[in-house]
Amino acid sequence: MRDVVFAAIDAALLVGAHYADARIVDSREEQVSVANGRVEAIESGESFGIGVRVIADGSWGFASSAEVSIASAELLGRMAVEVARSSARVAGTPISLAEVDAHDTQWSGPCQIDPFSVSLEDKIALLLSADEAMREEKAVKLTKAHLGFFRVHTYFGSSEGSYIEQNHTESGGGISALAIAEGEVLTRSYPNSHGGNWLQGGFEVVRGFDLPGEAPRVAEEAAALLTAAPCPSGVTDLIIDGSQLGLQVHESIGHPAELDRVLGDEAAFAGTSFLGVTDLGQLRYGSDHVTVTADATVPGSIGSFGFDDEGVPAQRDHLITRGTLTGFLTSRESARAISRTSNGSMRADGWNRIPLIRMTTVSLEPGEWSLDDLIADTDDGLYVETNNSWSIDDKRLNFQFACEIGWEIKNGERTRMVKNPNYTGITPKFWNSCDAVCSRDHWQVWGLPNCGKGEPIQIAHVAHGAAPARFRGVRVGVGR
Amino acid sequence: MNWLSTDQARELAARVVALTSADAAEVIVTSGEDSLTRFAENRIHQNVTETDTRVSVRAVLGDRQGVASTNRLDDDALASCCAAAVAAASAAPADPDFPGLPAPVPVETPTRAAAGAREFGPEQRADAVGAIVGQCSSRLIQAAGGVASNLKTLAIANSLGVDVGMETTSVRATVLALTDRGGSGWASFHGPDPNGLAADALGDEAATLARRSEYPTDLDPGTYTVVLAPEAVADIVDFLGYLGFSVRAFEEGRSFLSGHLGERVLSELVTITDDALDPEAFGLTFDYEGMPKRRVPLIERGVANGVVTDSYWAARTGRENTGHALPAPNPYGPLGLDVQMAPGDSTIDELIRSVEHGIYVTRFHYVNVEDPVPATLTGMTRDGTFLIEDGALTAPLKNQRFTQSAVAALDSVRGVTRQRAFFDVMLGAVLVPGLLIDGWEFTGQTG
Repeated sequence: MRDVVFAAIDAALLVGAHYADARIVDSREEQVSVANGRVEAIESGESFGIGVRVIADGSWGFASSAEVSIASAELLGRMAVEVARSSARVAGTPISLAEVDAHDTQWSGPCQIDPFSVSLEDKIALLLSADEAMREEKAVKLTKAHLGFFRVHTYFGSSEGSYIEQNHTESGGGISALAIAEGEVLTRSYPNSHGGNWLQGGFEVVRGFDLPGEAPRVAEEAAALLTAAPCPSGVTDLIIDGSQLGLQVHESIGHPAELDRVLGDEAAFAGTSFLGVTDLGQLRYGSDHVTVTADATVPGSIGSFGFDDEGVPAQRDHLITRGTLTGFLTSRESARAISRTSNGSMRADGWNRIPLIRMTTVSLEPGEWSLDDLIADTDDGLYVETNNSWSIDDKRLNFQFACEIGWEIKNGERTRMVKNPNYTGITPKFWNSCDAVCSRDHWQVWGLPNCGKGEPIQIAHVAHGAAPARFRGVRVGVGR
Repeated sequence: MNWLSTDQARELAARVVALTSADAAEVIVTSGEDSLTRFAENRIHQNVTETDTRVSVRAVLGDRQGVASTNRLDDDALASCCAAAVAAASAAPADPDFPGLPAPVPVETPTRAAAGAREFGPEQRADAVGAIVGQCSSRLIQAAGGVASNLKTLAIANSLGVDVGMETTSVRATVLALTDRGGSGWASFHGPDPNGLAADALGDEAATLARRSEYPTDLDPGTYTVVLAPEAVADIVDFLGYLGFSVRAFEEGRSFLSGHLGERVLSELVTITDDALDPEAFGLTFDYEGMPKRRVPLIERGVANGVVTDSYWAARTGRENTGHALPAPNPYGPLGLDVQMAPGDSTIDELIRSVEHGIYVTRFHYVNVEDPVPATLTGMTRDGTFLIEDGALTAPLKNQRFTQSAVAALDSVRGVTRQRAFFDVMLGAVLVPGLLIDGWEFTGQTG
């Protein structure tokens, strides 16, 4: 692979590129899905190819192909330069990259039980067991259970002398029970919605979820939602569970802190950011309880790696320190705008995509509360769990989230269940209303394998650590 | 490094069917070249091209199925892919509802690949960007967006004799214009051929709208009459199709149509059809099982008329196969990828003139589902939201959040434009007019 990678780089340099990198990506995945006792999907796939990225005449060019050979690599190197020269017809300031040391090394993620060596029969049996347990609940009309496994090997080289081989395995899955009656569909999921939870690791990850063991509770809660009261409308104190808070961090901190968005590169598609580079060290993003890190070294997180797709080593960096904005997610190009080096946030969704700034494990650092104490400390509020829906504006200010389930809190006690809870807010106001975060005992890393960004759309595997936290005076029950 | 022609893709699909040691097999070959030139801050910042060919094999053993796919095209890799599909089918439990692969049915495959799209290379894309940027930079406006071309060949074969293939092309351009006074404008183009792309005009449209939307003001949350430009309607129709027009959602009680076929469910001004054969359409005319996409009247003058099916759900529910299968394995059920709303008899200006007090929306942003049956959606407006007073656009508004049932909205349509436009959306492409709707719920605004 090294020969092919450097054939592309050398070919690009020969025709005038002043920077080139090449990535060969060899990926494999498997998905198994069950619904209402029927195996709906058993699917495996693989993808193999090479992408070449260059700077020529001060502009970026990229070309990729599924044909991985010396001849193909040389052709791609020349094509990428051609594309870069066409970019230069509408050029801005010539591209320059922040410094990075060259590395010639390898990195591997954790994996105890190779999930691709576990039989399909065992995977199907696990899912059918969970599915059957959910269908014991008569009000549940649709059940879903899913497992997925993903393995990727990358071979990266650059004209600055790096050659890095990496491989890692991800495993994930989850279950959902849908109670359906008279025009209402009410869903409960475990361990998370939208495909469950994902971690780096092997089959031990999904065994650890104990999907069959949790299935009866999931189904029971879905059924109970049918007769639960609608979420009341108003302004109240809101306690958000770790999984939903992970998505809240994702949408209202992670994305706005991507420096390419701040600089306008994603404006036409997903939007920009309410943040500016001059906010660094100045903006009061949240209360003193809000410290947020971007950490690509968290063991077992799908946001972790050895090096990003520009060859920058994995790092732990602070985005928000006790409420103040102290960092952005950066690339080698964008880091120049804040006079820093890259904190290693560039990743590509395969050989056929350029790297973009992506979240790693962006986490709300834990506080000191227990969840029981936090609820006991709340006179009148709402506790919500598990995301159902998310939406945020093009500057990442106005957000609205819906959750699967909620409970009212009255005089320090969790009381009646409510269905279809949602809440809305404005990002900095919301994070400044945070007055308590639960402790590391409640803190967990949630893997999100479906973060979309860029054109052509790229799906990144990112993660968020979060424990439940409380926010004062939040508007809930919107449009109810 | 070239993508496959239709004949080459069909030949490859047939060869892989023969390679698969199963009772029956279906092979989908997807091959193409995708190119995109993106710009922001009035300069090209991303320029990419990709060629790939992907082979997906569905192996059938009795009533069991398994799927495997690869983009490695050497003989060993293809044989491994076939073996993986067979192994998956072997592991699958019996599915007595599986009707088997569909038998061949004649498919109309009009020529829909435009020669101009093949010639639309990086220099032509850069020239289009240059024209767009020129319209904006000359007015001290920042432009962002993209100019893309997609060349795609799809071939499907199965061991019962299905053997279809088709090449399609599409060209897309988007322009976001941003001013330093909070103005934001938008324009877009989606068609089969770059000849329809007027880059200068697109840049001018976005820049003009951006200037007009400067210094946006506040709006109190509440219920308003709205005029939705076609691109805003596209999002609403797209989500309605995703949530409501599949036989699977219908049968499972998750669709607003469930139990209501033959009843009036939307305004009489609303007629929605899935029609891949429409002369204006430029997508595939067969589904991912190689079955012809039938024209399906979904809503006729507000009355629930039908849902889309595929071979599995048609057999399971005793309906006709309308040809709306997604690639196997498909846990979503059939979906319409060519949904269109019938035109009305107004212009967008006439709709605006008919509103005493309301809101004009250019497009929506980040729409998502809060409640599937009534299709309650939330999302934001962006790139040109205006107050309508006494029949004219007046104050530009900050971006507004809505929380609104799409079903209720389309039951409150009061006007439909003659002019329609194509938009590529989550599900294929939609062809939609602009709409005048009463009772739209705005529930907040950006900070």
